[in-house]
Amino acid sequence: MSTPVVEVAVRGEGSVLSAVRAALSTVRPAAPAAVVVPAVPGPGPLAELGDDRLDALVGDTLDAVLADVRATLGQPLDRLVFVLPHAPLMGVADGVAASAVAHGVLSMARTLAIELARDGVTVNVVAADVDAPAPGALAAQLGALLGAGGEAITGQEIYLTAGTDLGRARP
Amino acid sequence: MTTTTRTALVTGGAGGIGRGIGARLARDGFRVLLADRDATAVREAAEAVGAEPWVLDVADPDSRREAVTRTGGCDLLVNCAGVLRDARVRRLEPPVFRRLTEINLLGPIALARLVAPDMAARGAGAIVNIASRAWLGTFGSTAYSTAKGGLVGATRSLALELGRHGITVNAVAPGFVETPMTEGLPPEVRRRTLEAIPVGRAGRPDDVADAVSYLAGAGYVTGQVLVVCGGRSIGAPYATPVEEAS
Ligand SMILES: NC(=O)c1ccc[n+]([C@@H]2O[C@H](COP(=O)([O-])OP(=O)(O)OC[C@H]3O[C@@H](n4cnc5c(N)ncnc54)[C@H](O)[C@@H]3O)[C@@H](O)[C@H]2O)c1
Repeated sequence: MSTPVVEVAVRGEGSVLSAVRAALSTVRPAAPAAVVVPAVPGPGPLAELGDDRLDALVGDTLDAVLADVRATLGQPLDRLVFVLPHAPLMGVADGVAASAVAHGVLSMARTLAIELARDGVTVNVVAADVDAPAPGALAAQLGALLGAGGEAITGQEIYLTAGTDLGRARP
Repeated sequence: MTTTTRTALVTGGAGGIGRGIGARLARDGFRVLLADRDATAVREAAEAVGAEPWVLDVADPDSRREAVTRTGGCDLLVNCAGVLRDARVRRLEPPVFRRLTEINLLGPIALARLVAPDMAARGAGAIVNIASRAWLGTFGSTAYSTAKGGLVGATRSLALELGRHGITVNAVAPGFVETPMTEGLPPEVRRRTLEAIPVGRAGRPDDVADAVSYLAGAGYVTGQVLVVCGGRSIGAPYATPVEEAS
């Protein structure tokens, strides 16, 4: 009996999207899976984050993430992975909008992991430094989370930074 | 004229925790502007704790500007206004999610932007954001935990950005505290919540106020989350969620 090919639904328009797509081309998911790549805003000082800009960069972006999550839940789903850029999670000066979104998604994922456990859905976060010297890391990690054996990994936050963040307090 | 009295702006000041923070800061010698959108309740609370009442809707840009102007120079901003109305993700309505984002996350960031220039000019200031233990994840709490997580992220980034101006930015993450916000919890949820608290009791507004008072004066602590939860965050996992009602 041949195993049916399982598609991975990819949603979101984050800066790491092309790296995610490239990585997924080598991944063979063992169950219905979705990867959400939130469009975390770029840097900018607090002084320039006026009310409208704040609404758009943080409010609209988080709304879009929720819409993506709801869309994925409308389909058969066993594995959900959020891929975020690692820098705003670790924290950067002049990056309040980016950190607010990235950490908002991190906490959303923590809650979803708790909520969806009873439905057999795993939820994990991969924080990627796509400039780190580890080209195969994202594919290997997505393979582990989406492939056979991934059903027992949930609520985890995995930093693929090739050590670029060592010695700093994780969120 | 120079003045040595420091001014604190406390949002959500009519609520259980905000009122406790206001009382503590007034005892610490701050001039406290207790601000809340509930005009009647904030007047009553301010009178009780020796603060000045102010009507503020943290989700309204004009109202935010008026409150900061009223401080006449803010030394300490405590972002405590917050709402908890939530549901499991499958039942969560997008407008509810947005509203929680606006009040619990965007309002605090916008207020930080308004107070920062004046603090920077004086080379000193403190911002304390009241987040929640829910930032670590809580069943039935997608919108609330997202917003509080975002607030922790903002805290971290603001601390890095504003540190060089003498401004500290920290978060306090309370666990279960007995206030009007939590009085509507179903009895079974309350019982299980209390059982999971290692110190064996619910939090009190004073527990949170102690943490805020400390951070208000701790000039070498920044970008941190002080979790005030009676040990709940290191205790039992969410193995058997009971919040079915949401
Ligand atoms: N009580 C808890 O167990 C608990 C736990 C963790 C975190 N918190 C956080 O602590 C803070 C205070 O909570 P509380 O328990 O005192 O709740 P509360 O409901 O007693 O007080 C919240 C106050 O915020 C005010 N408020 C709401 N929306 C506002 C707006 N748009 N503008 C101005 N004021 C507004 C309300 O009028 C109310 O007075 C909140 O940010 C809450 O999320 C509470």
